[in-house]
Amino acid sequence: MLSRVLVPMDDSEMAAQALKYALEAHPDAEITVLHVAGGPSSMWGGASGLALADDLEEASQEHAQDVFDRAHEIAAEYDAEIDTEVQLGHPVRAILKQADDYETVVIGSHGGTVAERLFVGNVAQKIFRRSPVPVTVVR
Amino acid sequence: MVETVLLVGVVASIFVGFNIGGSSTGIAWGPAVGAGLLSKVAAAGLMTFFVFLGGWTVGRNVMDTLAGDIITIEISLAAGVAVLFFIGTGILIANVFGVPVPTSMTTVGAIVGLGLATGTANFETIGWIVSWWVVTPILGFWVGAMVGRYIYPELNRRVQIEKSEGALITIDRSGSLPRPALGPNSTYGELTGTIVVLIIGCYMAFSAGASNVPNAVAPLVSSGALEANPAIFIATIAIGVGGFTIARRTMESVGTELSDIPLLAALVVMTTAATITTALSWIGIPISLVMASVMTIVGLGWGRATRPITARDAMRGETDTEITTGALKAEPDTPVTKIGEEEHEEVLSADDLFNPRAIMKYVSMWIIGPAMSTLLAYAFFVVVPGVA
Repeated sequence: MLSRVLVPMDDSEMAAQALKYALEAHPDAEITVLHVAGGPSSMWGGASGLALADDLEEASQEHAQDVFDRAHEIAAEYDAEIDTEVQLGHPVRAILKQADDYETVVIGSHGGTVAERLFVGNVAQKIFRRSPVPVTVVR
Repeated sequence: MVETVLLVGVVASIFVGFNIGGSSTGIAWGPAVGAGLLSKVAAAGLMTFFVFLGGWTVGRNVMDTLAGDIITIEISLAAGVAVLFFIGTGILIANVFGVPVPTSMTTVGAIVGLGLATGTANFETIGWIVSWWVVTPILGFWVGAMVGRYIYPELNRRVQIEKSEGALITIDRSGSLPRPALGPNSTYGELTGTIVVLIIGCYMAFSAGASNVPNAVAPLVSSGALEANPAIFIATIAIGVGGFTIARRTMESVGTELSDIPLLAALVVMTTAATITTALSWIGIPISLVMASVMTIVGLGWGRATRPITARDAMRGETDTEITTGALKAEPDTPVTKIGEEEHEEVLSADDLFNPRAIMKYVSMWIIGPAMSTLLAYAFFVVVPGVA
Protein backbone atom coordinates (compact mmCIF):
# COMPACT_ATOMS: atom_id res chain seq x y z
CA MET A 1 0.00 0.00 0.00
CA LEU A 2 1.46 3.32 -1.06
CA SER A 3 0.98 6.21 1.25
CA ARG A 4 2.62 9.19 -0.42
CA VAL A 5 1.82 9.93 -4.08
CA LEU A 6 3.03 12.90 -6.12
CA VAL A 7 0.87 14.06 -9.04
CA PRO A 8 2.51 16.81 -11.11
CA MET A 9 -0.18 18.80 -12.93
CA ASP A 10 -0.40 21.49 -15.56
CA ASP A 11 -3.65 22.79 -16.99
CA SER A 12 -3.95 19.99 -19.56
CA GLU A 13 -6.63 17.33 -19.81
CA MET A 14 -3.99 14.59 -19.46
CA ALA A 15 -2.95 15.99 -16.09
CA ALA A 16 -6.55 15.81 -14.91
CA GLN A 17 -6.69 12.20 -16.10
CA ALA A 18 -3.53 11.45 -14.11
CA LEU A 19 -5.07 12.82 -10.92
CA LYS A 20 -8.25 10.82 -11.48
CA TYR A 21 -6.19 7.69 -11.95
CA ALA A 22 -4.14 8.40 -8.83
CA LEU A 23 -7.31 8.89 -6.78
CA GLU A 24 -8.74 5.62 -8.06
CA ALA A 25 -5.58 3.54 -7.75
CA HIS A 26 -4.43 4.92 -4.38
CA PRO A 27 -7.64 5.76 -2.51
CA ASP A 28 -5.98 5.71 0.90
CA ALA A 29 -2.79 7.51 -0.03
CA GLU A 30 -1.81 11.08 0.74
CA ILE A 31 -1.86 12.71 -2.66
CA THR A 32 0.11 15.87 -3.34
CA VAL A 33 -0.60 17.84 -6.50
CA LEU A 34 2.50 19.68 -7.67
CA HIS A 35 2.33 22.55 -10.13
CA VAL A 36 5.47 24.01 -11.64
CA ALA A 37 5.08 27.69 -12.48
CA GLY A 38 7.26 29.94 -14.60
CA GLY A 39 8.72 27.30 -16.89
CA PRO A 40 10.40 28.06 -20.21
CA SER A 41 7.91 29.56 -22.68
CA SER A 42 8.02 31.23 -26.07
CA MET A 43 8.95 34.63 -24.65
CA TRP A 44 9.89 33.74 -21.06
CA GLY A 45 7.10 35.98 -19.84
CA GLY A 46 5.96 33.61 -17.10
CA ALA A 47 9.43 33.14 -15.63
CA SER A 48 10.31 36.83 -15.72
CA GLY A 49 6.93 37.83 -14.37
CA LEU A 50 7.48 35.69 -11.29
CA ALA A 51 11.03 36.90 -10.85
CA LEU A 52 9.81 40.49 -10.91
CA ALA A 53 6.90 39.91 -8.53
CA ASP A 54 7.02 41.68 -5.18
CA ASP A 55 6.07 38.49 -3.37
CA LEU A 56 7.31 35.39 -5.12
CA GLU A 57 5.34 33.04 -2.90
CA GLU A 58 2.07 34.83 -3.49
CA ALA A 59 2.62 35.25 -7.21
CA SER A 60 3.43 31.55 -7.65
CA GLN A 61 0.33 30.51 -5.74
CA GLU A 62 -1.71 32.82 -7.94
CA HIS A 63 -0.24 31.19 -11.04
CA ALA A 64 -1.12 27.76 -9.76
CA GLN A 65 -4.58 28.64 -8.52
CA ASP A 66 -6.52 27.52 -11.60
CA VAL A 67 -4.76 24.17 -11.66
CA PHE A 68 -5.30 23.66 -7.93
CA ASP A 69 -8.96 24.65 -8.17
CA ARG A 70 -9.44 22.05 -10.84
CA ALA A 71 -7.53 19.49 -8.77
CA HIS A 72 -9.70 20.13 -5.70
CA GLU A 73 -12.82 19.78 -7.87
CA ILE A 74 -11.64 16.41 -9.12
CA ALA A 75 -10.69 15.30 -5.61
CA ALA A 76 -14.13 16.30 -4.37
CA GLU A 77 -15.68 13.93 -6.92
CA TYR A 78 -13.77 11.13 -5.23
CA ASP A 79 -14.46 12.41 -1.71
CA ALA A 80 -10.73 12.75 -1.22
CA GLU A 81 -8.44 15.40 0.21
CA ILE A 82 -5.31 16.50 -1.59
CA ASP A 83 -2.33 18.63 -0.71
CA THR A 84 -1.05 21.19 -3.15
CA GLU A 85 2.44 22.46 -3.75
CA VAL A 86 3.95 24.90 -6.18
CA GLN A 87 7.51 24.88 -7.50
CA LEU A 88 9.31 27.11 -9.97
CA GLY A 89 11.22 26.81 -13.21
CA HIS A 90 11.92 23.84 -15.38
CA PRO A 91 9.14 21.27 -14.89
CA VAL A 92 11.40 18.22 -15.12
CA ARG A 93 13.96 19.48 -12.64
CA ALA A 94 11.30 20.70 -10.25
CA ILE A 95 9.39 17.41 -10.30
CA LEU A 96 12.51 15.30 -9.89
CA LYS A 97 13.57 17.43 -6.94
CA GLN A 98 10.30 16.61 -5.18
CA ALA A 99 9.99 12.99 -6.27
CA ASP A 100 12.44 11.75 -3.63
CA ASP A 101 10.01 12.55 -0.84
CA TYR A 102 7.29 10.37 -2.34
CA GLU A 103 6.78 6.70 -2.95
CA THR A 104 5.50 7.08 -6.47
CA VAL A 105 4.80 9.66 -9.16
CA VAL A 106 1.64 9.59 -11.28
CA ILE A 107 1.90 11.82 -14.35
CA GLY A 108 -0.10 12.50 -17.53
CA SER A 109 1.61 11.29 -20.71
CA HIS A 110 1.72 14.74 -22.26
CA GLY A 111 0.47 18.25 -21.84
CA GLY A 112 0.98 21.69 -23.21
CA THR A 113 1.46 22.91 -26.74
CA VAL A 114 3.95 21.88 -29.40
CA ALA A 115 6.02 24.94 -28.54
CA GLU A 116 6.17 24.01 -24.88
CA ARG A 117 7.26 20.52 -25.75
CA LEU A 118 9.97 21.99 -27.92
CA PHE A 119 11.32 24.05 -25.02
CA VAL A 120 11.20 21.40 -22.33
CA GLY A 121 10.65 18.17 -24.24
CA ASN A 122 8.24 15.49 -23.14
CA VAL A 123 8.11 15.94 -19.37
CA ALA A 124 6.49 12.56 -18.64
CA GLN A 125 9.14 10.73 -20.65
CA LYS A 126 11.98 12.47 -18.83
CA ILE A 127 10.43 11.86 -15.42
CA PHE A 128 9.89 8.23 -16.37
CA ARG A 129 13.57 7.84 -17.24
CA ARG A 130 15.13 9.75 -14.38
CA SER A 131 12.80 9.44 -11.42
CA PRO A 132 14.26 7.85 -8.28
CA VAL A 133 10.85 6.34 -7.46
CA PRO A 134 8.41 4.25 -9.55
CA VAL A 135 6.43 6.28 -12.09
CA THR A 136 2.98 5.66 -13.54
CA VAL A 137 2.41 7.38 -16.87
CA VAL A 138 -1.31 7.85 -17.52
CA ARG A 139 -2.37 7.88 -21.13
CA MET B 1 5.29 35.36 -68.13
CA VAL B 2 7.24 37.96 -66.13
CA GLU B 3 3.94 39.51 -65.03
CA THR B 4 2.68 36.15 -63.79
CA VAL B 5 5.88 35.49 -61.82
CA LEU B 6 5.75 38.98 -60.37
CA LEU B 7 2.12 38.50 -59.43
CA VAL B 8 2.97 35.25 -57.63
CA GLY B 9 5.82 37.11 -55.93
CA VAL B 10 3.59 39.93 -54.78
CA VAL B 11 1.07 37.42 -53.44
CA ALA B 12 3.90 35.71 -51.53
CA SER B 13 5.04 39.12 -50.25
CA ILE B 14 1.56 39.89 -49.04
CA PHE B 15 1.39 36.54 -47.29
CA VAL B 16 4.68 37.22 -45.54
CA GLY B 17 3.71 40.79 -44.66
CA PHE B 18 0.30 39.68 -43.42
CA ASN B 19 1.88 37.20 -41.01
CA ILE B 20 4.53 39.69 -39.89
CA GLY B 21 1.67 42.08 -39.15
CA GLY B 22 0.06 39.43 -37.02
CA SER B 23 3.10 38.65 -34.92
CA SER B 24 4.74 42.05 -34.56
CA THR B 25 1.49 43.85 -33.73
CA GLY B 26 1.16 41.41 -30.87
CA ILE B 27 4.59 42.27 -29.53
CA ALA B 28 4.25 46.02 -30.00
CA TRP B 29 0.73 46.43 -28.65
CA GLY B 30 -0.01 43.32 -26.59
CA PRO B 31 0.92 44.95 -23.26
CA ALA B 32 -0.98 48.19 -23.89
CA VAL B 33 -4.07 46.37 -25.16
CA GLY B 34 -3.80 43.85 -22.34
CA ALA B 35 -3.71 46.68 -19.81
CA GLY B 36 -6.88 48.06 -21.36
CA LEU B 37 -5.22 51.30 -22.41
CA LEU B 38 -6.42 51.19 -26.00
CA SER B 39 -8.59 49.06 -28.29
CA LYS B 40 -7.27 46.45 -30.68
CA VAL B 41 -8.49 48.49 -33.64
CA ALA B 42 -6.71 51.61 -32.43
CA ALA B 43 -3.57 49.52 -31.87
CA ALA B 44 -3.72 48.13 -35.42
CA GLY B 45 -4.22 51.64 -36.81
CA LEU B 46 -1.22 53.06 -34.95
CA MET B 47 0.76 49.96 -35.90
CA THR B 48 0.13 50.43 -39.62
CA PHE B 49 1.12 54.09 -39.57
CA PHE B 50 4.35 53.61 -37.62
CA VAL B 51 5.33 50.48 -39.54
CA PHE B 52 5.10 52.55 -42.69
CA LEU B 53 7.18 55.30 -41.15
CA GLY B 54 9.84 52.80 -40.04
CA GLY B 55 9.88 51.00 -43.37
CA TRP B 56 10.00 54.21 -45.37
CA THR B 57 12.94 55.67 -43.43
CA VAL B 58 15.30 53.34 -41.55
CA GLY B 59 13.96 50.24 -43.32
CA ARG B 60 15.61 51.29 -46.57
CA ASN B 61 19.02 50.50 -45.13
CA VAL B 62 17.95 46.95 -44.34
CA MET B 63 16.32 46.71 -47.76
CA ASP B 64 19.67 47.60 -49.37
CA THR B 65 21.43 44.86 -47.40
CA LEU B 66 18.88 42.17 -48.20
CA ALA B 67 18.40 43.14 -51.82
CA GLY B 68 21.98 43.86 -52.74
CA ASP B 69 24.70 43.07 -50.23
CA ILE B 70 24.28 39.47 -49.13
CA ILE B 71 24.96 38.09 -52.57
CA THR B 72 27.12 39.74 -55.15
CA ILE B 73 24.58 39.54 -57.97
CA GLU B 74 20.99 40.72 -57.98
CA ILE B 75 18.32 38.24 -56.90
CA SER B 76 16.45 37.30 -60.07
CA LEU B 77 12.68 37.63 -59.96
CA ALA B 78 12.13 33.86 -60.00
CA ALA B 79 14.75 33.32 -57.28
CA GLY B 80 13.21 36.16 -55.28
CA VAL B 81 9.83 34.48 -55.40
CA ALA B 82 11.40 31.19 -54.28
CA VAL B 83 13.17 32.99 -51.39
CA LEU B 84 9.83 34.50 -50.38
CA PHE B 85 8.33 31.04 -50.25
CA PHE B 86 11.05 29.95 -47.84
CA ILE B 87 10.39 33.00 -45.67
CA GLY B 88 6.68 32.25 -45.80
CA THR B 89 7.23 28.63 -44.80
CA GLY B 90 9.32 29.72 -41.82
CA ILE B 91 6.59 32.09 -40.71
CA LEU B 92 3.94 29.45 -41.21
CA ILE B 93 5.84 27.02 -38.99
CA ALA B 94 6.28 29.77 -36.41
CA ASN B 95 2.59 30.61 -36.39
CA VAL B 96 1.19 27.09 -36.49
CA PHE B 97 3.44 25.70 -33.77
CA GLY B 98 3.92 28.90 -31.80
CA VAL B 99 7.68 28.55 -32.11
CA PRO B 100 9.64 31.78 -32.34
CA VAL B 101 11.35 31.63 -35.73
CA PRO B 102 12.80 35.08 -36.30
CA THR B 103 11.72 36.25 -39.75
CA SER B 104 14.78 38.37 -40.39
CA MET B 105 17.02 35.38 -39.79
CA THR B 106 14.97 33.12 -42.06
CA THR B 107 15.18 35.75 -44.78
CA VAL B 108 18.93 36.14 -44.56
CA GLY B 109 19.28 32.35 -44.36
CA ALA B 110 17.29 31.81 -47.56
CA ILE B 111 19.24 34.46 -49.45
CA VAL B 112 22.54 33.00 -48.22
CA GLY B 113 21.34 29.59 -49.44
CA LEU B 114 20.80 31.11 -52.85
CA GLY B 115 24.24 32.69 -52.71
CA LEU B 116 25.93 29.41 -51.78
CA ALA B 117 24.15 27.54 -54.55
CA THR B 118 25.21 30.08 -57.14
CA GLY B 119 28.65 30.78 -55.67
CA THR B 120 27.79 34.43 -55.17
CA ALA B 121 27.60 34.65 -51.40
CA ASN B 122 29.24 37.78 -49.99
CA PHE B 123 30.88 36.32 -46.91
CA GLU B 124 32.07 39.67 -45.62
CA THR B 125 28.51 40.98 -45.28
CA ILE B 126 27.22 37.64 -43.99
CA GLY B 127 29.91 37.55 -41.30
CA TRP B 128 29.10 41.13 -40.33
CA ILE B 129 25.40 40.29 -40.00
CA VAL B 130 25.96 37.07 -38.07
CA SER B 131 28.31 38.75 -35.63
CA TRP B 132 25.58 41.26 -34.81
CA TRP B 133 23.19 38.38 -34.31
CA VAL B 134 25.56 37.06 -31.66
CA VAL B 135 25.99 40.46 -30.02
CA THR B 136 22.28 41.41 -29.97
CA PRO B 137 21.00 38.77 -27.54
CA ILE B 138 23.97 39.38 -25.26
CA LEU B 139 23.35 43.12 -25.36
CA GLY B 140 19.62 42.67 -24.70
CA PHE B 141 20.35 40.32 -21.83
CA TRP B 142 22.93 42.64 -20.35
CA VAL B 143 20.69 45.72 -20.48
CA GLY B 144 17.82 43.71 -19.03
CA ALA B 145 19.98 42.29 -16.26
CA MET B 146 21.38 45.69 -15.29
CA VAL B 147 17.94 47.26 -15.18
CA GLY B 148 16.44 44.28 -13.38
CA ARG B 149 19.14 44.24 -10.77
CA TYR B 150 19.82 47.87 -10.05
CA ILE B 151 17.07 50.08 -11.44
CA TYR B 152 13.81 48.17 -11.61
CA PRO B 153 13.02 47.84 -7.88
CA GLU B 154 13.41 51.59 -7.40
CA LEU B 155 11.48 52.33 -10.58
CA ASN B 156 8.72 49.97 -9.50
CA ARG B 157 8.33 51.80 -6.20
CA ARG B 158 7.98 55.17 -7.84
CA VAL B 159 5.97 54.49 -10.96
CA GLN B 160 2.45 53.18 -10.95
CA ILE B 161 0.68 52.60 -14.23
CA GLU B 162 -2.93 51.79 -13.63
CA LYS B 163 -6.18 51.98 -15.46
CA SER B 164 -8.97 53.37 -13.35
CA GLU B 165 -12.66 52.82 -13.96
CA GLY B 166 -14.33 55.06 -16.52
CA ALA B 167 -13.03 57.05 -19.46
CA LEU B 168 -9.53 58.49 -19.20
CA ILE B 169 -10.54 61.78 -20.74
CA THR B 170 -13.97 63.37 -20.94
CA ILE B 171 -15.07 66.51 -22.69
CA ASP B 172 -15.84 69.31 -20.31
CA ARG B 173 -18.76 71.28 -21.79
CA SER B 174 -19.41 73.55 -18.86
CA GLY B 175 -17.47 76.49 -20.27
CA SER B 176 -18.18 78.42 -23.43
CA LEU B 177 -15.82 76.14 -25.36
CA PRO B 178 -15.87 72.35 -24.85
CA ARG B 179 -12.48 71.19 -23.69
CA PRO B 180 -11.01 67.88 -22.67
CA ALA B 181 -10.80 67.10 -18.98
CA LEU B 182 -9.69 64.09 -16.97
CA GLY B 183 -12.27 61.33 -16.62
CA PRO B 184 -14.10 60.59 -13.37
CA ASN B 185 -11.39 58.47 -11.72
CA SER B 186 -8.36 59.54 -13.71
CA THR B 187 -5.29 61.16 -12.29
CA TYR B 188 -2.61 63.10 -14.09
CA GLY B 189 -0.25 60.27 -13.29
CA GLU B 190 -2.51 57.84 -15.11
CA LEU B 191 -2.73 60.17 -18.09
CA THR B 192 1.06 60.47 -18.22
CA GLY B 193 1.44 56.71 -17.86
CA THR B 194 -0.97 56.05 -20.70
CA ILE B 195 0.78 58.53 -22.97
CA VAL B 196 4.16 56.91 -22.22
CA VAL B 197 2.75 53.46 -23.02
CA LEU B 198 1.36 54.74 -26.31
CA ILE B 199 4.62 56.45 -27.29
CA ILE B 200 6.66 53.33 -26.54
CA GLY B 201 4.16 51.22 -28.50
CA CYS B 202 4.59 53.54 -31.48
CA TYR B 203 8.37 53.34 -31.11
CA MET B 204 8.14 49.54 -31.12
CA ALA B 205 5.89 49.67 -34.20
CA PHE B 206 8.41 51.94 -35.91
CA SER B 207 11.25 49.53 -35.23
CA ALA B 208 9.08 46.62 -36.40
CA GLY B 209 8.55 48.48 -39.67
CA ALA B 210 12.25 49.26 -40.04
CA SER B 211 13.28 45.65 -39.52
CA ASN B 212 10.36 43.75 -41.01
CA VAL B 213 9.09 45.66 -44.04
CA PRO B 214 12.20 44.68 -46.03
CA ASN B 215 11.67 40.97 -45.25
CA ALA B 216 8.41 40.97 -47.13
CA VAL B 217 9.58 42.70 -50.29
CA ALA B 218 13.37 42.89 -50.60
CA PRO B 219 13.62 39.67 -52.68
CA LEU B 220 11.43 41.31 -55.32
CA VAL B 221 13.09 44.72 -55.15
CA SER B 222 16.55 43.28 -55.86
CA SER B 223 15.90 42.48 -59.52
CA GLY B 224 14.17 45.78 -60.08
CA ALA B 225 10.89 43.97 -60.79
CA LEU B 226 9.41 46.09 -58.06
CA GLU B 227 10.52 49.61 -57.15
CA ALA B 228 11.36 50.24 -53.49
CA ASN B 229 8.61 52.79 -52.87
CA PRO B 230 5.62 50.78 -54.10
CA ALA B 231 7.19 47.75 -52.41
CA ILE B 232 7.16 49.53 -49.05
CA PHE B 233 3.52 50.44 -49.63
CA ILE B 234 2.60 46.84 -50.44
CA ALA B 235 4.40 45.54 -47.36
CA THR B 236 2.82 48.16 -45.13
CA ILE B 237 -0.67 47.36 -46.36
CA ALA B 238 -0.10 43.63 -45.89
CA ILE B 239 1.30 44.18 -42.38
CA GLY B 240 -1.61 46.50 -41.62
CA VAL B 241 -4.17 43.95 -42.76
CA GLY B 242 -2.43 41.36 -40.58
CA GLY B 243 -2.56 43.86 -37.73
CA PHE B 244 -6.29 44.38 -38.08
CA THR B 245 -7.10 40.67 -38.47
CA ILE B 246 -4.88 37.88 -37.10
CA ALA B 247 -3.20 40.24 -34.62
CA ARG B 248 -6.44 40.10 -32.62
CA ARG B 249 -5.34 36.63 -31.67
CA THR B 250 -1.59 37.27 -31.35
CA MET B 251 -2.18 40.37 -29.24
CA GLU B 252 -3.73 37.92 -26.82
CA SER B 253 -1.23 35.05 -27.12
CA VAL B 254 1.99 37.07 -27.39
CA GLY B 255 0.30 39.74 -25.31
CA THR B 256 -0.38 37.21 -22.57
CA GLU B 257 3.28 36.27 -22.51
CA LEU B 258 4.21 39.92 -22.19
CA SER B 259 1.34 40.57 -19.79
CA ASP B 260 2.79 37.96 -17.47
CA ILE B 261 5.42 40.54 -16.70
CA PRO B 262 4.34 43.82 -15.10
CA LEU B 263 3.50 46.61 -17.55
CA LEU B 264 6.40 48.67 -16.29
CA ALA B 265 8.81 45.82 -17.05
CA ALA B 266 7.20 45.37 -20.46
CA LEU B 267 7.89 49.02 -21.17
CA VAL B 268 11.54 48.60 -20.22
CA VAL B 269 11.72 45.57 -22.52
CA MET B 270 10.01 47.34 -25.40
CA THR B 271 12.17 50.44 -25.13
CA THR B 272 15.34 48.36 -25.08
CA ALA B 273 14.26 46.06 -27.90
CA ALA B 274 13.00 48.88 -30.09
CA THR B 275 16.22 50.83 -29.59
CA ILE B 276 18.46 47.87 -30.42
CA THR B 277 16.33 46.96 -33.44
CA THR B 278 16.14 50.51 -34.78
CA ALA B 279 19.86 51.10 -34.31
CA LEU B 280 20.84 47.89 -36.08
CA SER B 281 18.34 48.51 -38.88
CA TRP B 282 19.91 51.94 -39.25
CA ILE B 283 23.28 50.38 -40.02
CA GLY B 284 21.58 47.92 -42.35
CA ILE B 285 21.62 44.79 -40.19
CA PRO B 286 18.52 42.62 -40.59
CA ILE B 287 17.50 41.88 -37.03
CA SER B 288 14.50 40.36 -35.36
CA LEU B 289 12.47 42.36 -32.90
CA VAL B 290 11.60 39.13 -31.07
CA MET B 291 15.25 38.29 -30.47
CA ALA B 292 16.04 41.55 -28.70
CA SER B 293 12.74 41.45 -26.81
CA VAL B 294 13.08 37.94 -25.46
CA MET B 295 16.64 38.32 -24.29
CA THR B 296 15.78 41.58 -22.53
CA ILE B 297 12.90 39.80 -20.78
CA VAL B 298 15.19 36.96 -19.70
CA GLY B 299 17.83 39.47 -18.58
CA LEU B 300 15.35 41.50 -16.59
CA GLY B 301 13.98 38.47 -14.78
CA TRP B 302 17.41 36.96 -14.23
CA GLY B 303 18.87 40.21 -13.00
CA ARG B 304 16.06 40.57 -10.50
CA ALA B 305 16.14 36.92 -9.46
CA THR B 306 19.85 36.92 -8.75
CA ARG B 307 20.19 40.31 -7.15
CA PRO B 308 22.56 39.98 -4.22
CA ILE B 309 20.37 41.61 -1.61
CA THR B 310 16.70 42.39 -1.33
CA ALA B 311 15.65 45.97 -1.87
CA ARG B 312 14.26 46.15 1.65
CA ASP B 313 17.54 45.11 3.20
CA ALA B 314 19.36 47.65 1.09
CA MET B 315 17.07 50.38 2.34
CA ARG B 316 17.58 49.39 5.94
CA GLY B 317 21.30 49.39 5.27
CA GLU B 318 21.67 45.79 6.33
CA THR B 319 24.12 44.91 3.65
CA ASP B 320 26.41 42.43 5.19
CA THR B 321 28.04 41.04 2.09
CA GLU B 322 29.70 38.31 4.11
CA ILE B 323 26.51 36.33 4.37
CA THR B 324 24.94 36.99 0.98
CA THR B 325 25.49 33.44 -0.18
CA GLY B 326 22.58 31.94 1.68
CA ALA B 327 19.91 33.74 3.56
CA LEU B 328 19.98 37.09 1.84
CA LYS B 329 20.32 35.85 -1.66
CA ALA B 330 17.47 36.31 -4.08
CA GLU B 331 14.69 34.88 -1.93
CA PRO B 332 12.27 37.37 -0.57
CA ASP B 333 11.85 37.24 3.18
CA THR B 334 10.91 33.79 4.37
CA PRO B 335 7.14 33.78 4.49
CA VAL B 336 5.61 33.96 7.91
CA THR B 337 3.50 30.88 8.42
CA LYS B 338 -0.06 31.91 9.09
CA ILE B 339 -2.12 30.01 11.62
CA GLY B 340 -3.76 27.01 10.03
CA GLU B 341 -1.49 27.16 7.04
CA GLU B 342 0.73 24.26 6.27
CA GLU B 343 4.38 24.97 6.75
CA HIS B 344 6.37 25.21 3.54
CA GLU B 345 9.12 22.71 3.44
CA GLU B 346 11.23 24.76 1.09
CA VAL B 347 11.27 28.42 0.30
CA LEU B 348 10.77 29.05 -3.40
CA SER B 349 13.84 30.36 -5.12
CA ALA B 350 13.61 32.65 -8.12
CA ASP B 351 17.00 31.30 -9.19
CA ASP B 352 15.21 28.18 -10.42
CA LEU B 353 13.33 30.20 -13.03
CA PHE B 354 16.33 30.75 -15.26
CA ASN B 355 17.99 27.44 -15.81
CA PRO B 356 20.99 28.09 -18.08
CA ARG B 357 20.44 24.86 -20.01
CA ALA B 358 16.82 25.72 -20.72
CA ILE B 359 17.92 29.14 -21.97
CA MET B 360 20.58 27.58 -24.17
CA LYS B 361 18.03 25.19 -25.59
CA TYR B 362 15.81 28.14 -26.38
CA VAL B 363 18.61 30.13 -27.99
CA SER B 364 19.61 27.11 -30.07
CA MET B 365 16.39 27.58 -32.01
CA TRP B 366 17.82 30.83 -33.31
CA ILE B 367 20.66 28.81 -34.76
CA ILE B 368 18.57 25.93 -36.07
CA GLY B 369 15.95 28.17 -37.73
CA PRO B 370 18.22 30.15 -40.05
CA ALA B 371 20.48 27.12 -40.60
CA MET B 372 17.50 25.11 -41.83
CA SER B 373 16.42 27.98 -44.02
CA THR B 374 19.92 28.23 -45.53
CA LEU B 375 20.16 24.48 -46.12
CA LEU B 376 16.72 24.15 -47.68
CA ALA B 377 17.24 27.14 -49.95
CA TYR B 378 20.68 25.85 -50.93
CA ALA B 379 19.29 22.39 -51.74
CA PHE B 380 16.44 23.90 -53.69
CA PHE B 381 18.61 26.18 -55.83
CA VAL B 382 21.08 23.37 -56.49
CA VAL B 383 18.35 20.94 -57.54
CA VAL B 384 16.48 23.53 -59.58
CA PRO B 385 19.29 25.61 -61.05
CA GLY B 386 17.06 27.24 -63.67
CA VAL B 387 15.39 29.38 -61.02
CA ALA B 388 18.50 31.07 -59.73
